[in-house]
Amino acid sequence: MWDFISERGDIIAYNALQHANLVLQAVFVATIVAVGIAVLVDRFQFLDPVANTVSAIGLTIPSFALVGLLLPLTMIGALTAFICVAFYATLPILRNAVVGFAQVDKTLIESARGMGMSDLGVLLRVRLPLAWPVIHAGVRTSVQMSMGIAAIAAYVLGPGLGGYIFTGLTQAGGVNAVNYALVGTVGIVLVALVADLLMLLLGRVTISKGIRA
Amino acid sequence: MTQTEQAPDRQISGAELRLENVVKRYPGQKVAAVDSLSLTIPAGEIVAFVGPSGCGKTTSLKMLNRLIEPTSGTILLDGKDISQESATSLRRKIGYVIQGGSLFPHLTVAANVAVVPKMLGWDKKRITERTDELLDLVGLDPDRYRDRYPRELSGGQQQRVGVARGLAADPPVILMDEPFGAVDPITRQRLQDELISIQRELRKTIVCVTHDIDEAIKLGDRILILQEGARIAQYDTPDAILAAPANDFVADFVGAGSTLKQLSLARVRSLDLRHPTTARVGDDTGPAVRQAEEAGDDAIVVIDSRDRPVAWPWLRQVRHHDTVQSSPRENLVTLDEAATLNDALDTMLTAAHSKVIVTGDRDKYLGVLDFETVTEHMRKTEREAVEHQHELEEQEQEAVSADG
Amino acid sequence: MADTSTTAPAQPAEDELAPKGSGRVITREMTLMLVVPPALVAAVFGAFVWWRQTADLDSVEAQQLRWSELRRLGVEHVQLTVVAALIVVAVAVPLGVLLTRGRFRAAAPVVIGIANAGQAAPSVGLIVLLFLWLDGGFWTAIWALSLYGILPVLRNTIVGIQGVDPTLLEAGRGLGMTNLATLGKVELPLAVPVIMSGVRTALVLIAGTASLACFIDAGGLGEVLQTGITLFRFSLMVTGAVLIALIALLIEWLGRVLELATRPKGI
Repeated sequence: MWDFISERGDIIAYNALQHANLVLQAVFVATIVAVGIAVLVDRFQFLDPVANTVSAIGLTIPSFALVGLLLPLTMIGALTAFICVAFYATLPILRNAVVGFAQVDKTLIESARGMGMSDLGVLLRVRLPLAWPVIHAGVRTSVQMSMGIAAIAAYVLGPGLGGYIFTGLTQAGGVNAVNYALVGTVGIVLVALVADLLMLLLGRVTISKGIRA
Repeated sequence: MTQTEQAPDRQISGAELRLENVVKRYPGQKVAAVDSLSLTIPAGEIVAFVGPSGCGKTTSLKMLNRLIEPTSGTILLDGKDISQESATSLRRKIGYVIQGGSLFPHLTVAANVAVVPKMLGWDKKRITERTDELLDLVGLDPDRYRDRYPRELSGGQQQRVGVARGLAADPPVILMDEPFGAVDPITRQRLQDELISIQRELRKTIVCVTHDIDEAIKLGDRILILQEGARIAQYDTPDAILAAPANDFVADFVGAGSTLKQLSLARVRSLDLRHPTTARVGDDTGPAVRQAEEAGDDAIVVIDSRDRPVAWPWLRQVRHHDTVQSSPRENLVTLDEAATLNDALDTMLTAAHSKVIVTGDRDKYLGVLDFETVTEHMRKTEREAVEHQHELEEQEQEAVSADG
Repeated sequence: MADTSTTAPAQPAEDELAPKGSGRVITREMTLMLVVPPALVAAVFGAFVWWRQTADLDSVEAQQLRWSELRRLGVEHVQLTVVAALIVVAVAVPLGVLLTRGRFRAAAPVVIGIANAGQAAPSVGLIVLLFLWLDGGFWTAIWALSLYGILPVLRNTIVGIQGVDPTLLEAGRGLGMTNLATLGKVELPLAVPVIMSGVRTALVLIAGTASLACFIDAGGLGEVLQTGITLFRFSLMVTGAVLIALIALLIEWLGRVLELATRPKGI
């Protein structure tokens, strides 16, 4: 096992980075999309149940199924993996963002407007920072969830550590099969752990001390 | 009781507001929320909007900074139609203070105060100086409170910061919506005192919505009493309204004629203050104690370098130290000279002394008011009221017998 | 997902409609999720049937998309899900109860911690590792699915029981109930809604992971998709994907119905 890893150290590290890279980029895009949709939902209240239902249905659909649905459109490779991960990453963030915006005290918004803030100013300086702790919790959930989805997306040659798991599967019975599967699985757990720590750190940095729990 | 008489030398920094036939009608509602309101709010005065809930006072207030757009009519600020300007730039010139302070919980106290100056693009140094100045003005030590978050403050402190935030960009007009509605009575009274004291200095135009007629009487240079549809029941000075309510609605609403109301109108400054022994922070205690003993005082008023009272220790406490000690100013309960006798009684009942320290501009020490002075004044007022009542009754009887 | 906890504050009272004559409160989202997915499933499945009957399929596709074959895989998929879910409930609920009793209480955070960490492992990895260890087949898949589904039920059982108002427990004891009676008559019934919401989450996780069972020769609808990807036939890919999604939606819906049906009256 140790030999297996030390022989391939560089490439494993590279794939771990690729894995983290895929997830973080997808979650980044997902956050922007989710917050954007949540802003719309906040403005047009009738969208609220729609957003929640879509999000609940989306989270029910297995990621392997989405991979299958995307393949005819985006073909095998990183693009499919990215879209797949980003799609699922959007849903928990959207959910939390809708809740987060709804929780912002309406008198604070009026007070901000009364002081002469523009709509954009109110969004960026009041609503977003106040909803951020809830949104951030959604982002954290998304990152964790995306790690496993990225692994499945490796079946269609998405980047990252998931490939090792499938290599282990195809080499079943071979000398290194278990090594491959273990490196893939444990590697993803470790990457997820580090990513979660990073997200915690991000929370420390970006959530105002005045509203931190 | 208007500030104009009190401080003629002060510069008015407020601007006049004029409403002309202002109407607000919400779609789908038969009666207008505000039905043709015309009104002039003079520069540099506090006007209190009072009335029962649903009378349209808050709607009227919010039309002044265009949080609500009038259906028709014109509002002029300093002679200029406010609808000609963009709502955001208008609002940056009008301070807005609402119940509880409505501070942004994710921003520090300083950042809360700095919101409008920042939007106006002031440079950093100017903002910092202004913030500190304002915190000091509302009685919060900048060094202690600047970097705190709202949740680390008491309700009263939050409200103070709210007032400071409303004043931040030195706007000519300040709108207040139930500004002191969320704090306990004692704190409310202190905040009212402070507002009056600040206003004496700044002379802004302040429009204050309240449901509390006592607050209106205390704060207002003028009171606007509104009936449903924001129809004006009476618009006059507190004295005039109490002396001659325009109709039964006003009479009921203000409870005019009672001695108690008269009492709540009388200000502390109209009574004689006593001047017990004072000492400055850091003075030797020896001479101070001797002086107090000669005068027969059992306590010493300690004032700081800016003439603000900071402590009020008993003589035996003073003797413990070689020099006169200070203590955090917030712990000392004081009364502004503009406070009413009602407030004075409340304060004395909760304080350790049966006396209360009275302050003027910028919390400057003025003297001490004692319980006897207040009760003596009350008795006098009541006696006069009873005599007045007798006269009225006698006149009535004479009238009746004349008829018979 | 912590869906029950995050959405709760977002549902103001006026959004809740309480059917007359019952103490049950159904949120608007719950109503939508009870109505929309079955309708969606029916519509999409209808479209699929129409396409299947009219499409011009080559021999490979026709072979793979025989109705009998699809039915067999569908049944397998459901079997995998249901068996795993039953095992999960049979293990996680008693374990959860145990972890709220007396001296075992201290172990609860440790067990939850381990379960949480396990959840971070990718489902594919878990399945493949178990396959390499135990060889393929139905029961290996059941092992993987059960392991994967345990956390939500375990966590919700503990949270649900801990969430019971302690004064109610005292009331129960005051009435002379034994510990076992308090558990059975007070704690568990009150915790049922929380536990069942965990069961629904587990069902979704298991149904989704069951689509990966094909990798270890345990069947399920994933097989159609897998074959489709291997042969690169769009018709097979989309069929597999759509059927997996539909069955997951149906199972989620069943979970919701179950959640509603088991909710004690008055909660």
